[in-house]
Amino acid sequence: MSVTEVGVPRRPLTARLRGPGAAPYVFVLPFYVLYGLFLVVPIGIGGYLSLTEWAGLGTPQWVGLANYERLLSDGSFRTAVGNTVIYVAFSVGVVVPAALLVAQALNTRGLKGRDFFRLTFFMPVVLSPIIIALVFTLLYDREYGLLNAALRGFFGWGGIDWLGEPSWAKVSVMLLVLWRWTGYLTIFFLAGLKNIPRDFYEAAEIDGAGRVRTFFSVTVPMLKPVTAFVAVTVLVGTAQILEEPMLLTKGGPGEATLSVAMFIYREAFTRQQLGYAAAAGVVMFLLVFVLGRAANAVYGVGRER
Amino acid sequence: MKAAPRSRRGLVYVFLAMLVVLFAVPLLWALSSSFKPRGDIFAYPPQPLPIPFTWENYTRLLETQPFWGWFLTSTVVAVVSTAVSVFVCALAGFAFAKYRFPGKKFLFNVMFSSLAVPFAVIVVPLFIMLIKAGVTNVYFTLIVPWLAPAFGIFMMRQYVEQSVPDSILESARLDGASEFGLFLRIVLPLLRPALGALAVWSFLNSYNSFFWPLIVVSDPAQYTLPLGIQALYGAESRQVDMVLAGSVLAAIPSLIMFLLLRKQLLDGLTAGAVKS
Repeated sequence: MSVTEVGVPRRPLTARLRGPGAAPYVFVLPFYVLYGLFLVVPIGIGGYLSLTEWAGLGTPQWVGLANYERLLSDGSFRTAVGNTVIYVAFSVGVVVPAALLVAQALNTRGLKGRDFFRLTFFMPVVLSPIIIALVFTLLYDREYGLLNAALRGFFGWGGIDWLGEPSWAKVSVMLLVLWRWTGYLTIFFLAGLKNIPRDFYEAAEIDGAGRVRTFFSVTVPMLKPVTAFVAVTVLVGTAQILEEPMLLTKGGPGEATLSVAMFIYREAFTRQQLGYAAAAGVVMFLLVFVLGRAANAVYGVGRER
Repeated sequence: MKAAPRSRRGLVYVFLAMLVVLFAVPLLWALSSSFKPRGDIFAYPPQPLPIPFTWENYTRLLETQPFWGWFLTSTVVAVVSTAVSVFVCALAGFAFAKYRFPGKKFLFNVMFSSLAVPFAVIVVPLFIMLIKAGVTNVYFTLIVPWLAPAFGIFMMRQYVEQSVPDSILESARLDGASEFGLFLRIVLPLLRPALGALAVWSFLNSYNSFFWPLIVVSDPAQYTLPLGIQALYGAESRQVDMVLAGSVLAAIPSLIMFLLLRKQLLDGLTAGAVKS
């Protein structure tokens, strides 16, 4: 098709001023079709199912809000919510600061091998969660695991039942979260740190600010947008935590590591309580949505400019 | 700011080196153990190197398990979903970056909100919906529902804004190019690094995904790699030796993709977050 051919009718002036008409709608259409079919419709179905009792066969029985009432008094659900809150608190309170610390170290001027470090720390995110979980299950093994072997080697004692004792199982899940996600979050902080103009640090130095002062009066405020992004991502991500506890401990021992997402999965696919699972899903959806929106409102992440 | 004093930099190196050990040891242990005879994997004290060395775990895996079948399913699913999803995201990202149209803000917010919809919430009803609709084809169920990640659109929009000047689009329009022609001939080539970033991200997501396949794939003949490895591990005899060999083999494509496109991926992921 020749684009310079003389005599091709130009579009009328008004059309050109108004812009390209239907084109942008056509361009976003594939997304919204998929969005409608595979996101909106399932949410609708989930909302409906949450008001029914259904084991997957026959017709769902309408039960009104009974599922929600049952959730309120279900000890397992409460445990799941409690555990998830612990995971979220750990991620926001430990993993995020750890990532910032690593990013600070990587941002040291004159550091050699920065890319090597960055890649090594990022590696866990690249691998399948099932592979990581299997390797960690073996490392955590009470009798033969590398972790206890190392403890025995260094301290002469290492009989921790990492996956079998309720509190240690929670710790194991959290250590895995720390191992898996720190490097991922680090790259965001590192990119943010690189964006801070050097003059700011020089000005702080001239004012006689020490390293701690500089960190709190230059780095932290300048990093606010990145921190906001990371905090929201981690908050929303950890609220849905599923892979680490499920693959490592299957939620156990007992329900010591059960998360809300795992609770939903368990009710739906091992207990065939589809309506009940859907109700738990709706509750989780509302919680995550409200959390995400609130955090967005506070930080202004993703606001259309 | 002067370069950090030598003593402080030394401390930083020590700190980072310790971290490298913590990050690398689990993976190197798995790699090394995959070459050990079964009985040596859990020897105490632990042996860092596989002596005696054996290929036995690999040969047994490949001989007794349909490993290449799993591999093929995973790869086909990942490649197809990556190609389609990158295209869909780039197109929508372009529209959000370079056009003004009524309803844009609303549509953008709707798209962005979907980032906050938990996977666990969608999974049950989506599974039921597909079953009721009689859709059982593995490729369809593994690929189609996950083709349009909002994250990808967000990332593409950011990139188009940064790297496609309005003037180029305008002059191409004056030359009579159609809007879709603009996208194909001008925008896509300019977006190449971003497309690479989104492609790795999307490939890794699909290739590594575990839960959705676990739910929708019931026929062992159609297992993906993660499902196959899980089945091996779940088997009564806990075939740790073959599981480790399989994990190492399964990790190779992810690592290659990542190492080849690492710069694009890391820069691409952070581009949206850093620009305030």
